[in-house]
Amino acid sequence: MNALKARATGSGAPGSGAPRDRVTFEQLSWISACLGLTLLAHVTTLPVWVTATVVACAVLRLALAARGRDAPPRAIRLTLSALAIGLLFLQLRTFNGLSAGTALLGLIAGLKLLETRKRRDIYVITMIIYFLSLAALLQGESFWLLSYLVGVCWLTTSTLLRLTNAAHSIHRRTSVRYAGRILAQALPLAVAFWLFFPRFGGPLWQLPDNGHGATSGLSDTMSPGDITDLAMSDEVAFRVRFSGPTPPLEERYWRGPVLHDFDGHAWHRTGPVHAPGLLFRGPAYHYTVSLEPNQHNWIFVLDWPSESNAARGFLTSDYMLVQPSPILQPLDVTATSYAHAPAADPLSATMRARDTHLLAGRNPRSVRLAHEMRDAHPEALDYVHAVLQMFREQPFFYTLTPPLLGAEPVDEFLFGSKRGFCGHYASAFATLMRAAGIPARVVTGYQGGTYNRFADYWIVRQSDAHAWDEVWIEGQGWLRVDPTSMIAPERVEHGLNDIVSPGHELTSRWQQRTPWLTDTRLRLDALQLLWRQRILGFDQNSQEKLLGLLHVPEPDGQKLAIALAVCLILGMSWLTWSVRRELHVRPADPVSRAYDRLCRRLAAVGLPRMPQEGAEAFAARVAAQRPDLAPSIIALCRCYTQLRYARDPTRDAAAAFVSAVRAFRPRGSRASS
Amino acid sequence: MRWIARRHGRDGLPFTINRRRIYIVPTRFGIALALLLVAMLIAGLNYNSNLGLGFGFLMTSLALVAMHHCHRNLLGLRVDVGGEADAFAGGTARFDFTLHNDAVIERCDIEIHCGDGTATTSVAPQGYAKASVDLGMSRRGIARHPRFELRTRYPFGWFRAWTYVQCPLTIFVAPDPRGNLPVPAAAAGSGHASRSERRGEEDFAGLRAYEAGVPLKHMAWKVLARGGEPAVRSYTGLAGRPEWLDWSTLEGLDAEARLSQLCRWVIEGEVARHPYGLRILGAEIPPSLGAAHRLACLRTLAAYGGGSAP
Repeated sequence: MNALKARATGSGAPGSGAPRDRVTFEQLSWISACLGLTLLAHVTTLPVWVTATVVACAVLRLALAARGRDAPPRAIRLTLSALAIGLLFLQLRTFNGLSAGTALLGLIAGLKLLETRKRRDIYVITMIIYFLSLAALLQGESFWLLSYLVGVCWLTTSTLLRLTNAAHSIHRRTSVRYAGRILAQALPLAVAFWLFFPRFGGPLWQLPDNGHGATSGLSDTMSPGDITDLAMSDEVAFRVRFSGPTPPLEERYWRGPVLHDFDGHAWHRTGPVHAPGLLFRGPAYHYTVSLEPNQHNWIFVLDWPSESNAARGFLTSDYMLVQPSPILQPLDVTATSYAHAPAADPLSATMRARDTHLLAGRNPRSVRLAHEMRDAHPEALDYVHAVLQMFREQPFFYTLTPPLLGAEPVDEFLFGSKRGFCGHYASAFATLMRAAGIPARVVTGYQGGTYNRFADYWIVRQSDAHAWDEVWIEGQGWLRVDPTSMIAPERVEHGLNDIVSPGHELTSRWQQRTPWLTDTRLRLDALQLLWRQRILGFDQNSQEKLLGLLHVPEPDGQKLAIALAVCLILGMSWLTWSVRRELHVRPADPVSRAYDRLCRRLAAVGLPRMPQEGAEAFAARVAAQRPDLAPSIIALCRCYTQLRYARDPTRDAAAAFVSAVRAFRPRGSRASS
Repeated sequence: MRWIARRHGRDGLPFTINRRRIYIVPTRFGIALALLLVAMLIAGLNYNSNLGLGFGFLMTSLALVAMHHCHRNLLGLRVDVGGEADAFAGGTARFDFTLHNDAVIERCDIEIHCGDGTATTSVAPQGYAKASVDLGMSRRGIARHPRFELRTRYPFGWFRAWTYVQCPLTIFVAPDPRGNLPVPAAAAGSGHASRSERRGEEDFAGLRAYEAGVPLKHMAWKVLARGGEPAVRSYTGLAGRPEWLDWSTLEGLDAEARLSQLCRWVIEGEVARHPYGLRILGAEIPPSLGAAHRLACLRTLAAYGGGSAP
């Protein structure tokens, strides 16, 4: 009786679910690591204290788990959660939008980690990790970010695998490998989805977004020295591909913000005023600008732009190409520009007033100098040349590290330091023009660019940032004047990096001295452009082209949906087949494979090999049941045995066996046996 | 349940799970994941982000592949189990399942559900695994489970695949052995001595050939150790006058109490190696000894009244 009633020791006593549901230290640490790696992708945009809270929660929970203790009491957890989420709301004022939502999700994941007791909680965290990865990709755009996040997702999935594995029988490495295989099988289907899922042009609805990444590149104010910071940056501002002729270097001025208002120190941009139209002359240049997101709403175009295909872009009266919303996504714009653009009408009085305005009493010495020189040169164009000549002949130096200027920066620059960067020269020149009554404005943008000979396009980097002037000459219209080129002509000819004084370290300086590295960088950049255009810029048009490639007549959204459905069906069938095939991987050895085939063929005619039968025994039984097959089957099986057990079976013997099996086609069925 | 039974008919053992027999649905987490994927899709479309969409599609495909893997985890698995088990009321019945895996991949986390008993096991590539399911039995009778179920949530717990094996499992639940009445003198015959005295009469009588079911303590281990054939020591006095364990001698007790008392006598008779016969309403088992006899008696007691246990 005791023997029968003895306590069961089976692997699954009823109701044994509860203890195995408890999370272990190992599971906790892995999921914490995955969460940490995901948040790493957000670390620049998350409020610092949110990151700190998540880290603190993870450390606290792990410390408790290491001592075998459970989550902290409910009251503490609730208080902490309410406090943290309340604080976040106070800081952000909203939970709507990407950055706010990301911060909230990250915080929730951390707090969830603190209260994790059962496997269920970890499942919730994995979901948050997946969504946080997506959120990072909505903001980011690089291939490396995608690879990194797919890697994190892989790790998370393998953690999930071990979490589901109740018996804890799976080794860490096995789980990573298995999750990787599942991910690899998912890849073709994902690509099909991605290619054929219909894209819509714009957003489904507009989400508010605050603090969406930092702005980069030129801004709509310029004080002397601003551009110095940009000159250090190797970051790509945009890339340009010309279709047709490429303008010479001295014409390659990429027009950005045009600045009209000068407060004696910095230049600002205010709303546009009506300006005369332009008559476009000279050679026309057609090109496509691929802009990196810069959080500003202007699009850099070649001087002087006449038209563009920017969907919501328009040309302002001072010939900036502007779109109403900031550029948050990589943007491709095709535009046409002309080398010369004389004005069609005279300058309006308001415009003239604005572009000759100087604050009274600022930079008095410069104003006096302007009056003196203007008296000597009554012709406006002569005066412009005289000022330029002054820059060329007097000891003006061009440097990336100019001395700091005080309250009257133009005076101090012209009469004191005489050392400056393009911003200083543009500012001083415009001041001298305005003081003499000639309308002048500062234009910021980029000049030059690096030609990528591997893929025929130009790379314009932040270090190509430049500032120049435009002056109004009666009868000719706005004329571009680049005073910086007077001081250091090489600067205009070769770009910034070559004229930096030798003591100054620039990252790309040594890179440019090693040609192979430059080449590698150019090739990488070409790949990046390809990535941008093919992957990031994949849209409705690309899909229509794709359908065209597949010889689908008159591609449209409906045909796209059909293509998606076909892909889905094919993909699922392939998946079913490939997943089941893994159950019975055929042996790699050709002899074993041939023997398997032999057995399959005999099984098909009603003579399956019994599991306990060796080759010889099987042959004997077959020979007894089917005398007609006897000679061949006995020979084949003997050959197989020899191949298996002989000391040195030759390759020819193996090949002969394989071909003999291939030729062996038993006929007949059960009936004949 | 009934239509499933009708659809499948009765399964023979060992049963090989084929694809028509595997059902699969998302779990709670799977449904949550589906909602998450929809959210990902909307976010990707709304931000017009190709990378976001790509990631969302990768996750979607991952879920679809996981579904196939979950389904495959059961596919082709061969399951075997003894169809009958015995228990005492208030005790547990144990079914030993054997899962054979002919495939070259491991089958992880196969759960066996039968009634309220479960067991979880993993089966190595081209190997097999045994798992025992213990079922708590509260009342005497014959318990029947028309089917058992194999389940898996592997690999990610997003899907649950399962199959019903329509193979009835029968449990003979003998009465809880209770009651301490002596075996009635009338039934035991005259001149009967107490058990302890009788045990003294058990004298070694010689060796006989081993047969299945003999208690281990009677094995002649030394003979076996010398390399001889398995042998059993036999005793005299065992074949004394057989006892009749008779329902009708237990007057004044209700039916279950009588069955409990009879059950106890059966067990004691076997322990004491004293031949016994069982006589209850509608059944009579002639006196004998041994595991098979004991089992027959206990099953007769379990089946009394034809009632089936819940």
